[in-house]
Amino acid sequence: MRKYLALAGLASFLAGCSKPSAPAQKTYFVAFSQCNNAEPYRSAQNELLSRICSKKPDIKLTITDAQQDNSKQIAQIETLILQRPDLLIVAPNERAPLTAVMGKALAAGIPTICLERDIAQPNYTTYIACDNRAIGKMAGQFIVGRLTAKYGKPKGKIVEIRGLLGVEGEINRYAGAHEVFQQYPGIKVVHEAVADWLQAKGRERMLEILRAQPEIDAVYGHNDPMAVGAYLAAQELHREKAMFFVGVDGLGGPAGGIKKVMDGVLAATFYYPLAVDMAMQIGDRILRDPSYKPLKKYMLPTEIITPENARQMYDRLTF
Amino acid sequence: MPRPSRFSFVNLQSGLGLLIILLLAVLTSPRSASGGRIFLEVGNLTDILRQVSEIGIMAVGMTLVILTAGIDLSVGSTLALATSIAGLCLTTWAPAAGTPAKLLFAIACALAGSAMVGALNGFVIASLRIQPFIVTLASMIGVRGLARRLTNNTNIDFGFGSDAGSVFARLGSDKSTVVAIFVIVFAVFSVLLSRTVFGRRVRAIGDNQTAALYAGLPIRRTKIYVYTWCGLLAGLAGVIYAAQNHQGNPNAGLSYELEAIAAVVIGGTSLAGGKGSMAGTLIGTLIMGILTNMLRLNNVDSNTEMMLKAVIIIAAVWIQQFDAAGFGKRERR
Repeated sequence: MRKYLALAGLASFLAGCSKPSAPAQKTYFVAFSQCNNAEPYRSAQNELLSRICSKKPDIKLTITDAQQDNSKQIAQIETLILQRPDLLIVAPNERAPLTAVMGKALAAGIPTICLERDIAQPNYTTYIACDNRAIGKMAGQFIVGRLTAKYGKPKGKIVEIRGLLGVEGEINRYAGAHEVFQQYPGIKVVHEAVADWLQAKGRERMLEILRAQPEIDAVYGHNDPMAVGAYLAAQELHREKAMFFVGVDGLGGPAGGIKKVMDGVLAATFYYPLAVDMAMQIGDRILRDPSYKPLKKYMLPTEIITPENARQMYDRLTF
Repeated sequence: MPRPSRFSFVNLQSGLGLLIILLLAVLTSPRSASGGRIFLEVGNLTDILRQVSEIGIMAVGMTLVILTAGIDLSVGSTLALATSIAGLCLTTWAPAAGTPAKLLFAIACALAGSAMVGALNGFVIASLRIQPFIVTLASMIGVRGLARRLTNNTNIDFGFGSDAGSVFARLGSDKSTVVAIFVIVFAVFSVLLSRTVFGRRVRAIGDNQTAALYAGLPIRRTKIYVYTWCGLLAGLAGVIYAAQNHQGNPNAGLSYELEAIAAVVIGGTSLAGGKGSMAGTLIGTLIMGILTNMLRLNNVDSNTEMMLKAVIIIAAVWIQQFDAAGFGKRERR
């Protein structure tokens, strides 16, 4: 019987009617506007969200992929608004361009959750933030700590492998770390290279850097794949033991950064929260409890992953 | 008739370009602690060869395609497909067999998949008579989708242990192996292009397709072969990519097709077809590789690097325009 009711609900939805009226037959339609499926971090987000939603039989999930393109994401959200989802989750590609369309969704009465990147105006029901600057700082402190342990005082030569220039994550992971490095005159960033978040480019850049820099103590990659790429380059020149590698993201699974910490490739990585679990926890309450008012902003903490806790984190974050 | 490929003037000009870039690289090279120029260290020079090998192998196939007055925009996506297939074959799809069998299986599947993409391109272009630009643009999009779909959009990483994936990565990332594959591919296709009937047909079709048709040349078959080779070589580059980067990656090779085309064009092969050589393509590939290496050894900002590359591409193609009779006189067509 419930099946038929659900079908009827779905049919009425497909017919373009407004939301089904009888609460007993309610199927919730959740839409996730993802900015770029192609990044491993984001495909992990999609995977986790799909798993969470598949465990809730009354929730139907749709994920759209904007392929790192603002106009595409705006168009996709506009289409979603017409489909009247009960909950809209947006991982905005960029701050300014997505602000207006998210306002439109709110104005249409759709609860809207903004993930990780802030937008220019608070056009959201709630904002779940991950703090890249704090991650940058923690990474900087970790590196300085290791170097101090090595030399007895804070000194050493660091290579930095940067992500795609101009992107929020890159800007803040850089700025956070440099805030720390600047405090120590003995700490020098001897070479900075841009590898666009890619492992292959990280490897290529590092090969050239290794030729130009006879002494390197630490490599800070703005994400795990670039740090792993740098490791592969150093390994080839048999210099990987002379330095240590630090990444960011800390994804689970066999291709993630946590596994690389377990393998001894990375000295540490910093967990950049997937945030969709938190979004769905809050979203679920919004769906089921009309009187529920979430906070305007939730800040998710980062965690450092080192060989000591890698196994435990791997089990927690692999799904 | 098209000019014979070896020792033609086009190569002389490309060679001159290579010489200029080489000189610049030596002169601007930073010095190592021991005082030598870093650029000239054997390790660095072989690094360059290894780094250009993926684009270089793709450019060999692209040369054949461009000689027939065609273009193949799908090679970057095909490379990604090959890395993905290799990754899957070494992990989830791996047969229950010994490591050598697993490696062979992975490489064979990756190459076969890529060759099939190329054959399909060639078939649609030659039989349905749709322009190569459109056909390969479509397969560039479609094949990328296929690679992402097969891998569910995630990278397939190889470990650092003794499983098949790790062994594959260790063997395939060895510098001498990679450079040897590049050199062999280049040599084989040089001979194929300059010394065989197939090579003459490729040039003839690009030079004047109508004449080739009246001469009774098997145009359709030749074109299908050419695109199949191009796909297969992109797949080979993909296998090398997967090994070197320790991963199958459905998002690998973005805009590689443009780099391969740039290498071919800088080497003096005409986009109008019929005119060009493998030696030119090798030179074009090396010019781009040395230029990149030179800028990066000097820690030049990556945006500036892109601007400088743009200038070099235009300059290199511009000097091709001068006729064999001497500089200052433009070739009339």
